[in-house]
Amino acid sequence: MTDPSALTLLALQLGFLILMWGFVFAIVYALRSDLFGQRVRKLQPAATAGAEPRAATPPGGTAPVVPAASGYPSSPVDRSDAGNDNASKLVITSGPRAGAEFPLGRDEITIGRSGDSAIIIRDDYTSTHHARLMLWNGRWMIQDLDSTNGTFLDGSRVTVPVPVPLGATVKVGATTFELRR
Amino acid sequence: MNDVTAPPTGKVKRIRVPQRLRNLELGILIPAFVIILSAIVLVQLGALGHVDTQLIVLGAGLIVLVLGLHITLRFVARDADPFIVPIATVLNGIGIAMIYRIDIAEGNEGWDSIAVKQIAWTAIAIAAAITTLLVLRNHRILFRYTYLFGLAALVLLLLPLVPGLGNEVNGARVWISLGGFLNFQPGELAKIALAIFFAGYLVRNRDALSMTGPKFLGIQWPRMRDFGPLLIVWAVAMGVIVFQRDLGTGLLYFGLFLCMLYVATGRFSWIAIGLSLFVAGAIIAVQTLEYVRGRVDAWLNPFDQSVYDATGGSYQLVQGLFGLAKGSMLGTGLGQGRPYITPLAESDYIIASLGEELGLAGLFAIFALYLLFVERGFRIGFAGQDDFGKLLGVGLAFVVALQVFVVVGGVTRVVPLTGLTMPFLAAGGSSLLANWIIVALLLRLSDTIRNHPRLVIES
Repeated sequence: MTDPSALTLLALQLGFLILMWGFVFAIVYALRSDLFGQRVRKLQPAATAGAEPRAATPPGGTAPVVPAASGYPSSPVDRSDAGNDNASKLVITSGPRAGAEFPLGRDEITIGRSGDSAIIIRDDYTSTHHARLMLWNGRWMIQDLDSTNGTFLDGSRVTVPVPVPLGATVKVGATTFELRR
Repeated sequence: MNDVTAPPTGKVKRIRVPQRLRNLELGILIPAFVIILSAIVLVQLGALGHVDTQLIVLGAGLIVLVLGLHITLRFVARDADPFIVPIATVLNGIGIAMIYRIDIAEGNEGWDSIAVKQIAWTAIAIAAAITTLLVLRNHRILFRYTYLFGLAALVLLLLPLVPGLGNEVNGARVWISLGGFLNFQPGELAKIALAIFFAGYLVRNRDALSMTGPKFLGIQWPRMRDFGPLLIVWAVAMGVIVFQRDLGTGLLYFGLFLCMLYVATGRFSWIAIGLSLFVAGAIIAVQTLEYVRGRVDAWLNPFDQSVYDATGGSYQLVQGLFGLAKGSMLGTGLGQGRPYITPLAESDYIIASLGEELGLAGLFAIFALYLLFVERGFRIGFAGQDDFGKLLGVGLAFVVALQVFVVVGGVTRVVPLTGLTMPFLAAGGSSLLANWIIVALLLRLSDTIRNHPRLVIES
């Protein structure tokens, strides 16, 4: 076998660099929604109004109950002091799954369109990582994660993490929910 | 697993078809294997002028092992992140190709060949990763043994100082020698134990560290009695720098704790205090420790003739810089440069070797891969719903990021040279073992933390 010429080696070297960058961009492409987020439409006032009337759906009773994921690791921390406002569940009050309940533990709850959120809301108005609920000194706080359409607590936009009182309406995209005992 | 909740009426919806992520992983692994094999072939064409099948067979053995890890994931962690394994594989493979290239230049063959040893260590490391995944089915178990991991880290750190067991290499007492032939750096494994310990400790105690304290200059400062942990870790890091004479490892441990403390408490004052402690430690070290002063001297005046000629001076640093300059944009081509002039071109200086032969374009592709790897770890911290797992994911990813920064910064004269190894790339068994275990832990975390939506609302 004869030695490859300098030109062949140069071509191979360029090919190898292109291969490496191709690999990098293949991963970036596969991750595009993780890295850049999904497209979010601006919420029109009409859409807000359309979602509101359905808020009257009765909770509990006929509502589907969401079982706690048994595969999910439970917190070893004792739950006796889980919130001095005693919220034990989150209830969806309007939107396509109105009436659904969601048990609250001690772990924070992420809300957004991405597949790794605890509550996934797939509509055009919810951002990839929209908001999160977290337990802070025994109180559930809602924090907006710089979402396009904002998170609303009792009608006012959430700018800094604020405590969520029992029964207060939180609105994310076209969905509203509240915390209950 | 009934983690995907289904509405009582209507069709059952699955958020992720179970093996979708694994198929994606396989799809990305195939180009990864192509990159590894073509790197080895290019090294042979460039340096030998012909293709030699021996090392390609060994490279294929590596591919079989990675496939073994992939199949393991299909059974025990099917929702794990699909990008971590391909990225680690490519980095590891490019490292082997470059070590092989240095071997050819130095005439190492058979078991003297560092590349063959590296492949053997990779096999051990991937086997360890598979074992970790099989044994550790839920990362919360680690939380239970927080303090045990703290103790283990301390023991691993002290091992090289035990007389008879410890081994001094290039002035640093960070090695242990088992049976006279197997050299091992326990500090690499200690960083994993420390990350677990810090995560568990901070989750348990963060309220005290983040909530209280006096306000001064517009920032809330911690109480005096909460300084204890930070001061202890600082003292341990300084101890590593003084007694083990290893600048990089000490820096790594302290940086890791500071990062995790900040992530856990969200308090800027910790960063301010930590950085002041670091600067104070650095000044003391430069004033009192000969080897640290030498490093700083070589960093500030590498082209000074007396520094260049001194033992432990800037000869290596300058050769590395010349190598990088020779590489320019597109590099000399694999196997066609002369990276072997630089001392330790296969371990501490592998980045300069790669920069010479792959150029800035190739080096930046490698950095992009590290960036994506670290991003996957931070993502666990961002998306997860359990605090311990989140903190551990961030800590493990940050330790890799900091190590890359310190090594590349050292080679490119941004920071003083420290003697850490480049994760996955550099020759060295303990580093490979530790980093593949980090891969396994990140995979386990991403499997249990991600993809557990508990409520899905679709319109």
